[in-house]
Amino acid sequence: MKRILLAEDEAVLRMLIVDTLEDEDFIVDEAADGQEALDYLKMEKYDLVILDYMMPVYTGLELIEKIKAGETLGHSKILMLSAKSQAYEQERILLAGADYFMEKPFSPLKLLEKIEEIVNEA
Amino acid sequence: MRLSNYFRNSLSRQVILLISACFIFGLLGTALLFFLQQNLNHQYIENRKVLVEKRKTINAIYDEYNAVFLDIRGYVALNNQQLMERARGKEKGIRALISELERDSVTISDISNFREMVEFSDYYFGDVLPNMITNYENGNHTEILDIANTETTMKVERFLKDTKAISSALDNQLAKNVVELSKNQSNLQLIFIGFIVLFLLFVQYIIRMIFRNIGKPLIDFSFAANEIAAGREAIIHVDPKRKDELGTLSVAFQKMVESIQEKEQGLVAQNEELIAQQDELHAQQHELEATLESLRSHEQKLSRRNELIHSISSTLNKKEVLQSVVQNMCKLIGADRGIIKLVEEDAYAAFGLTQKGIDRFIRFMDIGLVQRLFETKQAFTLKREQEIAEKGYHENINYCYDLYLPVLSSLDKVEAIMVFSRYGHNFSDKDLSEYEALARQIAISLETIRMYEETESNRNLNQDILNAVQEGIQLIDQDGKTIQVNQRLNTIFNQKTLINGWIGLTWTQWSSLMAEQIEGDKFLVDLKKVIESAVNAEDEQSFVYCKKDTKQIIKVYAKTIYHGDDTLRTMLVHRDITKEYEVDQMKSEFVSTVSHELRTPLASVLGFTELLLNKELKPERKMKYLQTIYNEANRLTLLINDFLDVQRMESGKQTYEKKYVDLYPIIETAIEHQKVNTTLHHFALKSDIHQSIVFGDKSKLEQVFTNLLSNSIKYSPNGGNITVRISENLESVFIEIEDEGLGIPNDAIPHLFQKFYRVDNSDHRRIGGTGLGLAIVEEIVKASGGKILVESVYGKGSVFKLEFPRVITRELTKQAEGISSDLNYNIIVIEDDLSLAELLKLELLDSGFHVSYFSSGSQAFEQMKTAVPDAIVLDILLEEDEMDGWSIMKELKGNERFQHIPIFVSTALDEKELGYSLGAQEYLVKPYQPSQLSKVIMHTLLSNGKQGQILVPE
Repeated sequence: MKRILLAEDEAVLRMLIVDTLEDEDFIVDEAADGQEALDYLKMEKYDLVILDYMMPVYTGLELIEKIKAGETLGHSKILMLSAKSQAYEQERILLAGADYFMEKPFSPLKLLEKIEEIVNEA
Repeated sequence: MRLSNYFRNSLSRQVILLISACFIFGLLGTALLFFLQQNLNHQYIENRKVLVEKRKTINAIYDEYNAVFLDIRGYVALNNQQLMERARGKEKGIRALISELERDSVTISDISNFREMVEFSDYYFGDVLPNMITNYENGNHTEILDIANTETTMKVERFLKDTKAISSALDNQLAKNVVELSKNQSNLQLIFIGFIVLFLLFVQYIIRMIFRNIGKPLIDFSFAANEIAAGREAIIHVDPKRKDELGTLSVAFQKMVESIQEKEQGLVAQNEELIAQQDELHAQQHELEATLESLRSHEQKLSRRNELIHSISSTLNKKEVLQSVVQNMCKLIGADRGIIKLVEEDAYAAFGLTQKGIDRFIRFMDIGLVQRLFETKQAFTLKREQEIAEKGYHENINYCYDLYLPVLSSLDKVEAIMVFSRYGHNFSDKDLSEYEALARQIAISLETIRMYEETESNRNLNQDILNAVQEGIQLIDQDGKTIQVNQRLNTIFNQKTLINGWIGLTWTQWSSLMAEQIEGDKFLVDLKKVIESAVNAEDEQSFVYCKKDTKQIIKVYAKTIYHGDDTLRTMLVHRDITKEYEVDQMKSEFVSTVSHELRTPLASVLGFTELLLNKELKPERKMKYLQTIYNEANRLTLLINDFLDVQRMESGKQTYEKKYVDLYPIIETAIEHQKVNTTLHHFALKSDIHQSIVFGDKSKLEQVFTNLLSNSIKYSPNGGNITVRISENLESVFIEIEDEGLGIPNDAIPHLFQKFYRVDNSDHRRIGGTGLGLAIVEEIVKASGGKILVESVYGKGSVFKLEFPRVITRELTKQAEGISSDLNYNIIVIEDDLSLAELLKLELLDSGFHVSYFSSGSQAFEQMKTAVPDAIVLDILLEEDEMDGWSIMKELKGNERFQHIPIFVSTALDEKELGYSLGAQEYLVKPYQPSQLSKVIMHTLLSNGKQGQILVPE
């Protein structure tokens, strides 16, 4: 069973993603802000970390920096979700170290497809 | 020859020569005389010696002969042989003496004497003596006696006698010699005297020579010089061959005379010319004198004119100039009173007139005599009898002369008119033309003033425009020196001094003054770059700097200005783009916020819809998803409404339908609506009053409280009390909404009401929002005449405080407990268009007035007999009535009972002035918003309000 961390401050979106993933038997930990996400990352190793860009305490980018800086366990794949759709913003996110990027609004099924692809690849 | 030249060349040498000659002549003469003297003496001594010798010899001979005779006698007598021997011995001596005598014989007598002596000697010693001796010896004494008695004794006696004679002749000779000597000597003295005379003559000759050679020419010179000085011709008689000083002098003198003569000739020529000129000048002088005479009269005029001009050009103040003009003209004309009045302006100045007279003059200027000036544009006079007031104590008929004088501009336009009055003397045509000329001068002066005023006002306007410009403007010259700045630049750089303080600052001075106040160190480099690019006419460049203290963001760009031919000036524009910058920042934040805020609900809506469409789900899950979709769609709608509101506000298209509304029920309802959205919060409404009337748009005010209450909930995520307090004083209504939530950081408070502003803080970032809610709230509160502010303790909660102007009804002040929407004002509407009357009535009722309407004035007056209304709304064109609005108004204003009632004219006739002049309170031209009518009535009644405590919102 693959373990996934979802960091997203919007409860409804968390519900959407968690529902979708749990139907496919992923284990999902939910974090509502950057701090919670960091706490999880320090405790667990995840196959994939899904990060929202705009989050309280630490933004998605700040979290990537912390992950890259080795404050967390292992190196998980990172998928960034963001409403920031402009090309230069995407570029910045990928440059900062995210492995994948998905724009909001997103299709939950396509997200699932993507996640399965990433997880299986690993 | 050389020697003669030697003397010829020098006068002193000549004199020396002459004196020397004199000296030598004297010396030689004296020497000659001395020699003659010596010679004479010597000859005398020689002669005497010879004579003395001769005499001595002769005497000796005589003596010897005597001795011999004596001896012979003795001998003969005594027969002494010795004696005869001594006698014989003496013969030798005698012979020697005789030969001595021979030696000295010179003259014939001498020689004869000598021969006689020799003969005697021979005779005596040869014949006599021996005969005697022999006779004696022979004793022949007779013979001796014969001898003695005969011839021999005679001869001896003769001889002795002769010798004696010779001796005395010699003595005579000696005496004769002495006489001759003295005679010679006296001759010599005569010669000496003659010599002296000769010498004196010679000296005289020398002196004459000197005089002739030196003195004469000098006298000639002096005479000639005098002659020349006296202007006569003179010739110098000096030998031109002379080479001494006089010769040189004569040559020089000659030359001098020639040059003097030459010059004199030149002078004579000049003199003649001068005389000719003088004649001409005399002629001109006569001419000038004639001209001068005419000039003098001009001068008098001019000096008067100058005085006038001087006094009017000494100031540029119009009032002063006019005053000066009228006073000086009066003085100049000899007028007793006068006035000048500008045609196009109200300005005037008068002298010796009363204010009443001035006012009357100005009022009737258009129709009085003055009008003639506008038509003829020429001065004219008027002769009239003095009025009683002017006459003073005089009994006789006196005349007064009024002078009407136009001031014509260069375009022959009447700029001003002047009127002067003079008692007793008329004005001549010459006077008039002079005054007209003076009026021209005054016109010029007035034009100058106008130009000055225009320039000054243009200058002020320019500076005002510059100062009004929101950009800081700085003009620098080629060297970077500041020429001009505006107020705004001063404000940007907090200079307390006047803007003039900038002028003249050098590049280094002002740029360092600026640089000190600017963050970073790039300012100077950027500034230079911008100026260079402007000077080189490159594409416009700009840079941005940030003020240290105020954190203002200023953008600078430069433009070159060509002033005059080639003077290059550069204008630096400092534009405060803080707002734009912040808005920009906020907009870009907004873009991400909006996209975030919109995409999040959209993502939910789309995501759950996709799941619903593609998955087999249990009914409760379906319901949950559908509910979520519904909620999120609602959220989207609210967001979009907010955006639209903001957009409308920004474009000024937001409309408010303002009425008198009671805030209390609005707040109550808002709380009720918010209560259902939360379980964590407890609401409390605390109020002493149950009615708070303000003037505003009800639905917008509802939005205000909904937004504020939902914020309170949103930013106190952990729940807590939310307390709303309502209170009021005489002027305002106060509402406070307090929560126990996150609170607001202090630095965020000033920006809180800016649109798109979100508190940048992790606690808040968790809470979604567009940053529009509070901006909308503030906009609505302001539009309702109120204000909003916030107090907050970070971490403890916030209080939003609102204040609205309070509208107090008469009812409320009368009965504190009364609750009524009636304002208790009675209003009569006189309007023949019944549908319009109905509309107005509804509007006024809606605003809380008591209203009754009438289609004619007479009906209205009928009604007003019983009750006097508080206000009247009056139409002017009343077809059904014999009285139109104007006559109703006159009637009302003429009636003591009604004249205080404010009349609000409501008509299609645009005759505002007439309306106001007849006493209308307000004049509304149809079509107008009915709400406007209630507003103005409310305003008037409340501000006239007998209680005087009414606040009417605009």
